[in-house]
Amino acid sequence: MPGVYYSEQVRRRFAAARYAGSVAGARAAASRGDTRIELSAQVRDGRVARLRYRVFGCPHTIAAAEEACSELEGAAIAALQQFRARDIMGKLEIPVEKTGSILLLEDALAALGRRIADGPAGDD
Amino acid sequence: MTAACTPLYLDYASGTPPAPEVIEAMTACLTGAASAANAGSPHQLGRRAAAIVEQARAQLAELLNVPPATLVWTSGATESCNLAVAGAARFRAHRGRHLVTVRTEHKAVTDTFRALENDGFEVSWLTPGTNGLLALAELEAALRTDTQLVSVMHVNNETGVVQDIEAIGALCRARGILFHCDAAQSAGKLPLDLGVLPIDLLSLSGHKLYGPQGIGALYIAARPATGVKPLMHGGGQERGLRPGTPAVPLIAGLGAAAALAARRLAADAVAMRELNRALWNGIRELPGIHRNGAAEHCWPGILNVSAEGVHGESLLLALEPLCVARGSACNASSGEPSFVLRALGLGDALAQSAIRFSFGRDTTPADIEKACDAYTSAVMQLRRLAPGGAA
Repeated sequence: MPGVYYSEQVRRRFAAARYAGSVAGARAAASRGDTRIELSAQVRDGRVARLRYRVFGCPHTIAAAEEACSELEGAAIAALQQFRARDIMGKLEIPVEKTGSILLLEDALAALGRRIADGPAGDD
Repeated sequence: MTAACTPLYLDYASGTPPAPEVIEAMTACLTGAASAANAGSPHQLGRRAAAIVEQARAQLAELLNVPPATLVWTSGATESCNLAVAGAARFRAHRGRHLVTVRTEHKAVTDTFRALENDGFEVSWLTPGTNGLLALAELEAALRTDTQLVSVMHVNNETGVVQDIEAIGALCRARGILFHCDAAQSAGKLPLDLGVLPIDLLSLSGHKLYGPQGIGALYIAARPATGVKPLMHGGGQERGLRPGTPAVPLIAGLGAAAALAARRLAADAVAMRELNRALWNGIRELPGIHRNGAAEHCWPGILNVSAEGVHGESLLLALEPLCVARGSACNASSGEPSFVLRALGLGDALAQSAIRFSFGRDTTPADIEKACDAYTSAVMQLRRLAPGGAA
């Protein structure tokens, strides 16, 4: 798309889709405009054992979700609410025009973290 | 979903590669003795350059079956459309200031009409039916005693829908209303006998018919006489309608392209039909696939399809190395769902997922097979990724 920049980082993660899907366990979703994000996680011993995403959205959103899952799988649950859109945008060279979509991912991860903190999460 | 390999070009509606004959004609101009000469200079080399310009004009005139003197060189169809619409409207403004066009025209036309609205002209904006065709009854109802100009494109650049320009032109001619036709997508591809068709103004671009970028032409009918006010002022070239030093190599290229198109028209049409049929048959069985523009109303060089449950921007990237278009090249930068598809009645979800495939002389059946595989794979993968999918 003319005027839209896809860094090599975005292209690689968009193509990989290793963390695409869902798992039985805690879930959270966020949507705005034409972007929809669903996250699901399994927790063990206070850590995110498995984290998966489903996205209807632009390549940057898919790539950011892929990277977020890669970073947060195995992390402490608290890390879900500490995820910041600006950090991943910098890492993946996501253009500022896409901030809204990546903030939606931040919202979804925070909601997932709250859901896990509030109630029982699925185990393996 | 993406792979680093050789690009597969299926975006001929945006631009076509210059044909070998075109490159040969242009190279001769760029390297020959007259390469530096201005076609307006009276000396020997200037006259040689002028002869090249007039030979190209004759070649294009033969394709369109018009006297060469009715053709004005421009920088492309965008300029031609501007000159035709604004030039004709202003020339006839003393007789009336009502104009008519269609919402699904190229932006070169719609933006010119909007500019005329800002200058006090009144424009009636017609909407085609959900088949993309302009109903003659609707056009007739829009025409008034003060209507001076109607503009309707021949082949829509996004969907390939072909308008009945003969009937539209006849309706206008019977009422003394000028008819401009944007033929950027049809010149050199569909028969255009302007010796018979009741068209007063016709715009075309070189880079859409295997000629170079940066050159086009505007046909201005001599009978009945069609007046146009120039947009530019200067050295008086092109009968004062489009001054500026003629771009001799580009003009030679367009002339060569026109001559080639005249020879290849029928064979190219057959090839386009086969390619279109093969691509549609290769993807039509995918659930939730929609063809935008019925085959019987469309020029087969374009196939526009939408897929349910797929994000258009992601689909475009997932299709790489296929080079295709969302909407049209001229509209793609906005990221908005195509206004052409919305006018056909498509909702935003389907309109934003639309992809335009367009074929050309170099497109092979093997290319179509690759395109089918790539499209199917990309759609299925993105649907699996989406909420409700099966990843």
